Amino acid sequence: MSSDKKKMSRGDLGLQIIIFSLGFFYAIVYYVAVPGVVDLQAVSDQLLAYITAVLTAAFAIGVINLTRVHWINIKRKRATWRYSIILLLSLYGMLVFSVIASPFALDPNATVIPASVIQFSTPIWDFLYYKVLVNINSSIFSLLAFFIASAAYRAFKARSVESTILLVAGLLVILGQAPIADLIWPGLSMIRDWIMAFPNAAGQRGILIGAALGIIVFSVRRLIRYDW
Amino acid sequence: MFELIPGRISQGVLLIIVLAAIYELTRIAVRKKLKTRGIPGLERIDEWIKEAAKLERAVFFTPGTGVITSPDTLASMALLGYVSKRCVEYGARLIVANSDPQVQQLTEDIVKGAYTKAGKEKEFTPDMVRYVSTRQFAFAAGVMGILRRERPAVNFFVGDFQAESLQVAETGRAEAIYQFGGTTNTDQLCFFATTCDQTLIGEELYTAQGYLSSDPDAISKLVGPDAGKTLAILLILAGAVLVTFGNSILVYLLGL
Repeated sequence: MSSDKKKMSRGDLGLQIIIFSLGFFYAIVYYVAVPGVVDLQAVSDQLLAYITAVLTAAFAIGVINLTRVHWINIKRKRATWRYSIILLLSLYGMLVFSVIASPFALDPNATVIPASVIQFSTPIWDFLYYKVLVNINSSIFSLLAFFIASAAYRAFKARSVESTILLVAGLLVILGQAPIADLIWPGLSMIRDWIMAFPNAAGQRGILIGAALGIIVFSVRRLIRYDW
Repeated sequence: MFELIPGRISQGVLLIIVLAAIYELTRIAVRKKLKTRGIPGLERIDEWIKEAAKLERAVFFTPGTGVITSPDTLASMALLGYVSKRCVEYGARLIVANSDPQVQQLTEDIVKGAYTKAGKEKEFTPDMVRYVSTRQFAFAAGVMGILRRERPAVNFFVGDFQAESLQVAETGRAEAIYQFGGTTNTDQLCFFATTCDQTLIGEELYTAQGYLSSDPDAISKLVGPDAGKTLAILLILAGAVLVTFGNSILVYLLGL
């Protein structure tokens, strides 16, 4: 915090002016229109397109970092160096096949890349993407069910008044959500709906209002670099 | 020439009122040196990092899967700055995992800066700040792998998290001594509350920097956002009472 009070250099000041002008412009565009003179929304969209282009170029940073970290792993034969070989092969292998044969291929009409290479690469890319990547992604996602079970086991221990309330509310919502809820007791789904719509929604909205105000103050502080 | 966009006028007016109230209350709080309640977890960060250094185990930090424009990600950078400074001070090894290349660049600058400021730039290595993957579950798998292999003693999961939050926090719990979570995503907060020793809930993420500062002025400035909250509560109460009695003036005004 104290660093904010230091005198700004010319470069910092210039950067701050750019940051403030762009931030202020975006805030103004949201509230104000200048019909017949300039389409502020179009200008804002165009600026966003430039930002997207700059941000996309920054993806190279990620690739460079991955390569650097795992190359050092392999060179120094660290404990996990074999995994690093697999990672680098997967990274660059997928990159090559994606450039040649994915829906975003650089030369889909075979102007430069020979058609035979594209024909050879297409089933490989399809296999790697749809049969490997998509399935691994789904598998990792599905692990969540087991993590939820272990976390719920820990959370649903009646150690204090608060955790007992959590346990009872959690059990009622789980039972109410079960397909046989109405067969057990028709009131279960009503209780579930009440818990979700009132105590749960109220708590969540309280956090959201606080977070929204936090974001406003944080953003304005950053924008004007004023420490309050 | 200028035209206010219908439907957003009341938002703009409300924003100005809230900002003015926050500014004014902050000034009063600073003048009167008001004290705020502390966040227990934040006070223990130093102890945890010291313990990690003593055990010669790493400290792990991830800002989650948010992009550089996410307020949660940006707010988490303040905490990363603090954690990296303390890691340099106590000699604990820091590992940072990112899912966004731009965030990777920012975190690398912060960590490198902490080492440079302490005159220990030679101790900084590129594998301290790692880019994992932009894909959510590839990132989760990568972080789970780091947590299993490197066995950090303290884990910080602070920033913008989605469904991967529980996977990484639950994996971290198996090995770590302490875990610190923080996000404004209400769907993920319950997971952090279950798996972490301390959790920054909602706006606490944005005020953490103030709490970490020893400057009494900075602590007083945290009172400001409460003015906004008080206004919001008053508006909610007024709206509820007015609508109950069949008056929808506030609904109309806020819809302008």
